[in-house]
Amino acid sequence: MTQRSLNYLGRRNDGQTPSELPATIPVVCAEELDKLLGRVRHHAAGFVTDLAHPPRALRVRAGEVSLEVEWAPEQGSASVSAEPAVLPVAGEDPDLHYLTSPAVGVFYRLPEPGAAPFISEGDPVVAGQQVGIIEAMKLMIPIEADQAGRILQVLKNDGEPVEYGERLFALAVLSAAGRAQPCSAKC
Amino acid sequence: MFSKVLIANRGEIALRVARACRELGIQVVAVYSTEDRDSAVVSYADQAIQIGPAPAKRSYLNIPAIVEAALHTGAEAIHPGYGFLSEDPDFAEVCRDHGIAFVGPPPEVIAQLGDKSAARRLMTEAGLPIIPGSLTPTRSVEEARQIAEDIGYPVVIKANAGGGGRGMRMAHEATAFLRAYQQTKTDAQALFGDSLVYVERYLTSARHIEIQVLADDFGTTIHLGERDCSVQRRHQKLVEESPAPRMPPGLAARMGQAAVRGAQAAGYLGAGTFEFLLSSTGEFFFLEANCRIQVEHPVTEMVTGVDLVQEQFRIAAGEPITLCQDDIGLRGSAIECRINAENPDRDFVPTPGTLAEFTAPGGPFVRVDTHGFPGYRIPASYDSLLAKLIVWAPTREQALNRMDRALAEFRVRGPGVHSTHSFLREVIRNPVFRSGDHNTTIVEQLLRLDNVPGAA
Repeated sequence: MTQRSLNYLGRRNDGQTPSELPATIPVVCAEELDKLLGRVRHHAAGFVTDLAHPPRALRVRAGEVSLEVEWAPEQGSASVSAEPAVLPVAGEDPDLHYLTSPAVGVFYRLPEPGAAPFISEGDPVVAGQQVGIIEAMKLMIPIEADQAGRILQVLKNDGEPVEYGERLFALAVLSAAGRAQPCSAKC
Repeated sequence: MFSKVLIANRGEIALRVARACRELGIQVVAVYSTEDRDSAVVSYADQAIQIGPAPAKRSYLNIPAIVEAALHTGAEAIHPGYGFLSEDPDFAEVCRDHGIAFVGPPPEVIAQLGDKSAARRLMTEAGLPIIPGSLTPTRSVEEARQIAEDIGYPVVIKANAGGGGRGMRMAHEATAFLRAYQQTKTDAQALFGDSLVYVERYLTSARHIEIQVLADDFGTTIHLGERDCSVQRRHQKLVEESPAPRMPPGLAARMGQAAVRGAQAAGYLGAGTFEFLLSSTGEFFFLEANCRIQVEHPVTEMVTGVDLVQEQFRIAAGEPITLCQDDIGLRGSAIECRINAENPDRDFVPTPGTLAEFTAPGGPFVRVDTHGFPGYRIPASYDSLLAKLIVWAPTREQALNRMDRALAEFRVRGPGVHSTHSFLREVIRNPVFRSGDHNTTIVEQLLRLDNVPGAA
């Protein structure tokens, strides 16, 4: 994970669970870190098998370890969160966010012809993750998610010309009030 | 002729160019920033492409975005209007490289005429009189000061990459030279990214007279008479007219011929303007050449009956000019006033805001080129020109009366919004202006009068 997205998640979580966030990433030696990660993996696997429904995504972070579980929309009611998750409806959900084109150009979903797309509908993204390309005057401009969440819809086809500011992806923003309740665990 | 054209501009000129396209049966592609989403040209155009955010650097000056927009929409030509990219040789070159016709001269010509001291050298060789001063950018303040001493004060220090009245300062005496020189260098770097400057004599009580030219790819270069643009404030034109009043017999024709010689020497193509200063003794000097359609082009259109923007398109499409020099005669008198969203009582500070009321004048021989409409929000991101009011009449006096009447009809109102139209009425009614005996200092004189306590 990039430092940028780490910082970002730290900021987002800050207001919600400040006591669980480290002020700084503790310094650990490689051996300790390996042990630590092993324990986290073990713990995470057990956590998943204990759940009634498998989650859509499970992310384990380094540093002060945090565990994030993301639920598929239809299984939102089984979330560990007390609040039921609702599939966001375009234009209504405050957590719905659009990734827009940074330039006039051609939109590409694939890193190269024949390759798998950067991202598909339903996929989780972290802030800073590349989700597409805009080609403008032979210049390849990467499109990155500016916040963490899940891709709800890809709004443009591969190879389609786009204007500045045109919506490319609808993103369900990762937040405490819904589908993607982050859980944190301290070792 | 082209079937689809992209207009790389905004405001009144974008709409003006779009109208010429409509009359020629050309499809119009408008480009706009997020700030101009609801602008007049966007709703007028056949297609509109959002090219960037409000700052011009990322939208109207964004070459890749504009060229991409042209390629995607299949536009065969780009009309750059005035300002923005209209005199950017790089833009003209990128257009050419992408097989898009740039409506303007070739990049090499723009580059040469945009380098003001190179243009002065070229025009000297073509036999045009230039104002005494340096023929190359000055290499040091000592050299510049020596030139100032040689030609005599007052002098003006100008940015080599400047033009349009920006990037220049006066020094009325030797003691003020150093400061003016250094400030001009700083301004030039900030405005044009090039700190080179040159020095020329400053003509007091001169008039600003410019010649409109048209040149095609078949060796035809003609001029369409003169415009007097002496009513300026801080080197920005406020009122323009054609023909120029009180011209000695034959002078305008001689200036026209000089401009044609200059255009031919430069290998000019398209519509262009040769600016001159006319001294009180009737001598004229080449000032600069502008490689674009000018804001004040309508006054020439009104007295010649030639649609200059349509001619630009014909020339860019490789067609010959349909006129010859003998076809051109100036009939009657045309005046233009620039209505800016500015507050004349507060040193002409721009006043962006939403127009609660916007009613342009009408009636016989009145033309209004504007992008304004009731409810239009004047953005703070761009220049303050809101409308150009142009009138025509058989004589200058009748034209002045008509302009006075039309200005009185103009209604511009909105929270925080001011307009210069009432100030322009003062200019139009001023006896010195009416006599045609004014020079470029008239506005400063008028404003000084206004500031005298107890004055009307």
